[in-house]
Amino acid sequence: MTPFLETLRKPAAAFLFPVESDSWTFILRFGLGAQVILYTLSLRADWNELFARTGWGLVNRELTEAVLDVQSRFAPRLGWVVLIGDHLGLDESTTLWTVWGCLLGAGCFLLIGFFCRASAVTAWSLHLCAVNSEELLSYGMDNFTTIGLFYLMLSPLPDRLSLDWQLRKQSLRHHEFLGFFRRILQFHLCAVYFFSGATKAVAAEWWNGTSVWRALVSPPFDRLPPELLVHWKFLLPLLGISVFFLEISYPIFIWPKRTRGIWLSCVIGMHLALMFTMGLFLFSLIMITLNIAAFGPELWTLSTSQRDRSTIQILPGKAS
Amino acid sequence: MLSEGGTLLPGSWSPGLKRADILTTSVLAQNLDISNPFRQAVAAYIRCAGIEIGYGFFAPKVAITRKLVFELTYPDGRVEYELPHVGSEATGLRLTLLFENISRIQYEPLRKTIFKMMAYSIWREHPEVERVRSVFGFVLFPGLADFEQGKQESYHILYAYDFRFRSPEPAEP
Repeated sequence: MTPFLETLRKPAAAFLFPVESDSWTFILRFGLGAQVILYTLSLRADWNELFARTGWGLVNRELTEAVLDVQSRFAPRLGWVVLIGDHLGLDESTTLWTVWGCLLGAGCFLLIGFFCRASAVTAWSLHLCAVNSEELLSYGMDNFTTIGLFYLMLSPLPDRLSLDWQLRKQSLRHHEFLGFFRRILQFHLCAVYFFSGATKAVAAEWWNGTSVWRALVSPPFDRLPPELLVHWKFLLPLLGISVFFLEISYPIFIWPKRTRGIWLSCVIGMHLALMFTMGLFLFSLIMITLNIAAFGPELWTLSTSQRDRSTIQILPGKAS
Repeated sequence: MLSEGGTLLPGSWSPGLKRADILTTSVLAQNLDISNPFRQAVAAYIRCAGIEIGYGFFAPKVAITRKLVFELTYPDGRVEYELPHVGSEATGLRLTLLFENISRIQYEPLRKTIFKMMAYSIWREHPEVERVRSVFGFVLFPGLADFEQGKQESYHILYAYDFRFRSPEPAEP
């Protein structure tokens, strides 16, 4: 290796594999546990209608999976689980409700940190199957839940606050990847916000407030009375510009410690606003979870000295 | 989307954006035959990681609200209207996204099949109905200035399909 590359290697390795505490995996695990629980409970009334082959309701699962087949034959789907259930003598409805129960159970286990790895893998695989089998009805929230569960499943587990750590005395293995996976999540969020902001900024409707108006008056997001929006109409262009400016500048201002708190608070504020003004509860929850996990632990209640002590406890090896 | 124009970006950027589009298409193996195992494997990984969608939420423009109405015609000529119903608000939100996705389907037989399935679920609740007509359209909301002048939302029809279903004959004893 040339001396130039050698000089680059150290800072690159320090940046990509920083020494980290497990606070972020705790936030991710807890948030995703809550997300999976709320996801399953929110679909309880329509679970069979959404996924049944016989087509009681919206879209036949077989049709969605046939469309999925064209894109990728290897993408996991509920049809495979139903097939396994069929071999075990279970009818479709029983299998679907078993999947629902397992997903709910995995969410509960993630929340309390019991069998963390197995729960993360179960939640990711079943959630992915469900999302793939209802593709025509899925949206950004489903993808971000998959993304979060994918990172969680690969990250070093369990964290200190999990039951696995407390009761089963399981300790962390491969702790060197704690910082790496968090870094990937941070990059991923930067890309998400940058492209989301950039695609808004190129449309005139986001500069003059038209998009904010349309977003807030179109069903099923129309939670605010239009008269209220008319009263505050001078704010709409400002809101539109603020939204895409916040998103585009996220990859710049989220890194420096001096601006991180402000940007993180603004982004969380934006998602809370989406939650209450447009009813995007699950979407906002997953975005807030990912943001806090990626950039929040430093702003967590732990003081620096407490955090350093925790890091040293987790990383008994070289913590330099 | 950006390379196709219609945004604030200068037209002179289009060739560069098109090249970027071609590059990403190649990286994701989208230019290979759809049955190519490599393309299928890349697509499976992308799905497993949850990164198959873009991140342009409500961008560059907020999507138009789509609406589906079922017109039920009874043998005596009576006509009733039904909306697709779901069990929870969360599924209601997904229904809106379903309509949005349906509106993007260019392959007419697939679109018709989806409407038929939904019409069938309605017919199962009203088996005496002679004909179920699925009317799909969009709701146009007035802009802020028009709303202030009292203009109301309007409904515009895109597609209408008629379906007739028949109960299965009872089996011979």
